[in-house]
Amino acid sequence: MNAPRAAGVDTRAAIRATGLRKRYAGLLAVDGLDIEISSGEFFGLLGPNGSGKTTTLHMLATLIRPSAGSATVAGFDVVREPVSVRAAIGLVFQESALDRTLSVAENLRFAGLLHDLPLRVIGERQRELLELFGLADKRDQPVATLSGGMRRALDIVRGVLHEPRILFLDEPTIGLDLPNRRRIWRFIERLRARTGMTVLLTTHYLEEADGCDRVAFIRRGRLVESGAPRTWVERLGRHMLEVEGPDLDGLAAALEAKLGAGLREGDVAYFRCRDEDVAAIARLQAEMGSRASAWRIRRPNLNDVFLWVADGKDLG
Amino acid sequence: MRMGPRFRPIYAVLERELLRMFRQRTRLVAAMVRPLIWLLVIGGGFAAFIGEARGVDYKSFLVPGVLGMTMLFGAMLAALTTVYDKESGVMRMMVIAPMPHAWIVIAKVVSAAAAALLQAILLLVLLVALGYAGRGAEWGLLAAALAATSLACAGVGMLTAAFSRSLDNFAGIMNFVIFPVFFLSGSLYPVRDLPPALGWLATANPYTYGVDLLKHALLPGAGSADFGIGLDLAVLALATAVTVAVASWRFSRESAYEPMIHVLADRAK
Ligand SMILES: Nc1ncnc2c1ncn2[C@@H]1O[C@H](COP(=O)(O)OP(=O)(O)O)[C@@H](O)[C@H]1O
Ligand SMILES: [Mg+2]
Repeated sequence: MNAPRAAGVDTRAAIRATGLRKRYAGLLAVDGLDIEISSGEFFGLLGPNGSGKTTTLHMLATLIRPSAGSATVAGFDVVREPVSVRAAIGLVFQESALDRTLSVAENLRFAGLLHDLPLRVIGERQRELLELFGLADKRDQPVATLSGGMRRALDIVRGVLHEPRILFLDEPTIGLDLPNRRRIWRFIERLRARTGMTVLLTTHYLEEADGCDRVAFIRRGRLVESGAPRTWVERLGRHMLEVEGPDLDGLAAALEAKLGAGLREGDVAYFRCRDEDVAAIARLQAEMGSRASAWRIRRPNLNDVFLWVADGKDLG
Repeated sequence: MRMGPRFRPIYAVLERELLRMFRQRTRLVAAMVRPLIWLLVIGGGFAAFIGEARGVDYKSFLVPGVLGMTMLFGAMLAALTTVYDKESGVMRMMVIAPMPHAWIVIAKVVSAAAAALLQAILLLVLLVALGYAGRGAEWGLLAAALAATSLACAGVGMLTAAFSRSLDNFAGIMNFVIFPVFFLSGSLYPVRDLPPALGWLATANPYTYGVDLLKHALLPGAGSADFGIGLDLAVLALATAVTVAVASWRFSRESAYEPMIHVLADRAK
């Protein structure tokens, strides 16, 4: 099943897209995307709402036909071999893909049969997965009575019931409160540890992508940057300086002369302190701190990286 | 990897359809009561001044029509739940499954037909118990008539569903599809006694041939049927094949379910 399908095709690439594009009347939702994701990789596609994440995922999952470009998933072409692609993948949609009128077990039975699984196999996996996702005592409840977090967990169970080699997760934690978001992440961790499946996830909660092997930023349908979260954050600098003040423009200009171009967000200006050591930053504060109403030094995170590249700035 | 047609997905859709049918008791009861009202109230009323239609008393003449009505409504409503599936998450479960998308149409048509068939059989049991049907019926032909008619109705329902964007036009579908199909058939009056324009419309309506086949089976030799058995079966088979083919074509174009993605994108903002 995994045999090379043509000379030169690297079967280790679980997902490979070249020049992938989707045009809707007057709008380029995805604009020439190139992505390669290796087998077993945990890949995060990050971007604000409307940036083209769902469209990308649905093209890779064969649900939307690309306007241009090509993609292979698990070695199969998404346009020419959609059924083979769908057999190899699981997709957890951004919005629930469950029948709210049926019970938990009935939903999984329905999904399993749709994937051509024998009833015995459905029963076994359902038991295991519901246990793993903390839903074992809900099996006979109608989905309509589940909380948002439980429904999301069940959506994921539904998406992995047929043991796909590649799993797509479209904003798995959207709309959930923090404890439930943490729970969902624990489940995904456990799944990855158990199965070693390739995972492509999208999110606009950037702090959640810290655990990814690699992340890519997408903005207005274009990939802006991609890399490992840790290296990125390191590239941004050792510290971030956040300042507020009555004359923010003047202060920012003065800081820019020392630290290089910064970012403005409302009443806050951000600067990266790349080479400066703590003593250098302290000197800077002694010099200009009096002009600021707030002066904060902190570690940079993925959010900063995103704001930086979203602003069109080079990470350098 | 095993390719080619798989039957578990069809079974999955069928099982869900029947489960929903038996859970929605009121829908099931309505499917029994509606035809009985037609038969007893309308049939009773008209029988009083029409007396006979084509040699049989009017109530007996109406029995094939109300049996057909159960299938028409049952199959159409079941097939139209596909529109609801498109709006809820269920269609997502189906489109991501590893089967050609045309297979969804086949599964839905088979399930809708099965639901309609079960309702027709329940009604038939009631009609036999009440003494309105059964005497002299040709049971083999009746079985074929029920199967062929419910499949054709399910096909028409699926075609309608494939072109409907939302449940909002449900009333429109009732008024512009189900009612015309029912009234412009031989259900209430013999086709050959209709004035020309209406007669042509009834002749062009595939459902007419289902009712006609039911007349052959329930009232053999009574002369209330308008066409031959062979023609009836051929038209029903053709109607099923064409509606399924067009609905499948429509469905294999992503636009049949893509709008939901746009809706999702908007809702997320
Ligand atoms: N079916 C569609 N028709 C028209 N525009 C669409 C459709 N689906 C998505 N879009 C638009 O394409 C852009 C990308 O959407 P989407 O991929 O859902 O973004 P994301 O998942 O990153 O929030 C948005 O501007 C959205 O409104
Ligand atoms: Mg999205």
